[in-house]
Amino acid sequence: MTRKVLLRYSTQKATEPILASVIKKTEILPNILYAELSTKGGEILLSIDAPDKEVDKTIALFKQKGVEVQEIKRAIELDRDSCFDCGACLSLCPTGALYMTDDKSVELEENKCIYCELCVPSCPVRALKLSKF
Amino acid sequence: MAEINDRIRRGDAVVVTAEEMIEIVRERGEVEAAKEVDIVTTGTFGAMCSSGAWLNFGHADPPIKMQRVWLNDVEAYTGVAAVDAYIGATQLSETRGFEYGGGHVIEDLIRGKKIEVRAIAYGTDCYPRKELETTITKDDINQAVLCNPRNAYQRYVAATNSRDETIYTYMGTLLPNYGNVTYSGSGALSPLHNDPNYETIGVGTRIFLGGTQGYIFWEGTQHAPTKAMGTIMTIGNLKEMDARYIRGATIEKYGSTLYVGLGIPIPIINERVAKTTGVSDEEIKTDLTDYGTPRRDRPILREVTYVELKSGKVEINGNEVLVSSMSSLKRAREIAGVLKKWIEEKRFFLSQPVEGLPTDQVFKPIKQVAGVPFVSDIMTREVVTAKPSDSIASAAKIFAKHNFDHLPVVDAKGKLVGIATSWDIAVAVGTGKKKLSEVLSSKVITAKEDEPVDAVARRLETHKISGVPVINARGELRGILTNQDLSKLLGGRGR
Repeated sequence: MTRKVLLRYSTQKATEPILASVIKKTEILPNILYAELSTKGGEILLSIDAPDKEVDKTIALFKQKGVEVQEIKRAIELDRDSCFDCGACLSLCPTGALYMTDDKSVELEENKCIYCELCVPSCPVRALKLSKF
Repeated sequence: MAEINDRIRRGDAVVVTAEEMIEIVRERGEVEAAKEVDIVTTGTFGAMCSSGAWLNFGHADPPIKMQRVWLNDVEAYTGVAAVDAYIGATQLSETRGFEYGGGHVIEDLIRGKKIEVRAIAYGTDCYPRKELETTITKDDINQAVLCNPRNAYQRYVAATNSRDETIYTYMGTLLPNYGNVTYSGSGALSPLHNDPNYETIGVGTRIFLGGTQGYIFWEGTQHAPTKAMGTIMTIGNLKEMDARYIRGATIEKYGSTLYVGLGIPIPIINERVAKTTGVSDEEIKTDLTDYGTPRRDRPILREVTYVELKSGKVEINGNEVLVSSMSSLKRAREIAGVLKKWIEEKRFFLSQPVEGLPTDQVFKPIKQVAGVPFVSDIMTREVVTAKPSDSIASAAKIFAKHNFDHLPVVDAKGKLVGIATSWDIAVAVGTGKKKLSEVLSSKVITAKEDEPVDAVARRLETHKISGVPVINARGELRGILTNQDLSKLLGGRGR
């Protein structure tokens, strides 16, 4: 199962190779969906595709290294019954999570979604719904 | 035409979609294509704001001459007789705003949903009733006729946004600094683009409209055939329509609209028509237009083809920019396919137009009797300015001496570098700041001299600010426009 984890770095932690060392240790390859780091610290959103236990272990490791970890439990849903494949959402999606197939259908690959929510109000028929839980 | 209908009846008419026709004309040429193909079907499925429906409710007892009427809190126009009303697609709900409008009422009617009807009247001897509240479905009312003043634009411009803020337009959400492009239309499948000389399309042409058979009954409003922007007026029985092809919709922070599915069959009556139905996306060009300029004549960046637009990426100033379509190509294809099937199954016959569509009309702008004021007409030109190195104390003195709230800060060359408000100065004093450069806001909302005042007034309202510095193309300060300047207009609009 794919889970999404938001790491928050403080100033000092931003200079340590924490992510690299966790990857090295767990051998799990997270996908960086979004990252913003500056001199004031920053955050990295990871998508981790691994068994639950492994993900838990990874989260624990990050915490051990002093990084604030928040699991993102949100879901975005594309209602295929309502969607008529116009594509109004496509150019607003910064990660390509919403894309057009060869037969011109609009599809959503949730793993790539960073929940910026730009697409939600852009849908003329409200086929994109975000739920938080 | 009679010959083609005979062939449909016999079951040997050759029907292809406009996309299939491209290959046929490309491979065999228009002469052979004209011999081989009888009918080309087209399709489009897009937001067509200029749409609506005529409804006749029937008479109540005691009867009412409706003066105003609402359907699910969306007002319909009833200035025609007693119980006729026109529900327009873009009319908004008085209780739900942008989320629900006339387009949604039309979709709900088609779906057979119950609609709340509320009417008021002044009462007459023959129509004494003054109020009416009831619920109806499409089966309860006499006529429900979709009647659209402007549908099926031959093509439409593509939109982008030069401003440094996101704007919300009828072409959808446009990201800052040319962040995306939106367009509409089905390109090679576009009904009017397949017969741009209107050799076969005219008044009385039977078409696919919203999942049933409808008709073209006039040229559309704003019909501009010489600019390849022709349009048609369409009509059809709403009661027979399918909500798959008629959808109410909301364009973010713009309003409600109606997505209309429409397809026109084009009889291949000669080689010229065979050639025009072979039109491909490469050949259909449109203007990539800057919607960041809120003027009627918006700047055009360049020409783009429908191939580029449909590819999902367009190049602007060396950058690859993502493209959104506002209309559905997939459903347009489906419509061309359904129309083809109807003809093959002998359920749809072609009609001979009784009158042609104008080929030389132009779309005129509105006649304006009062001049539109521009920023340069009303801005304050004598502006007191400060330098970034000035002290807070000297800035405070300026505010004390003059009666204003905005102090533009300029560099040695007169270029605007920021703005300080009386509030900024108060905060600076309170927090012990010394120099103006420490407190000024460098992200300044500005205006240009040649902008219409209405555009700037909207900017002030959106950003909840009371004034903007006016700059030229080089960023040099030319003046300032404040709410006070705007209020001068109230005395007598125009010049």
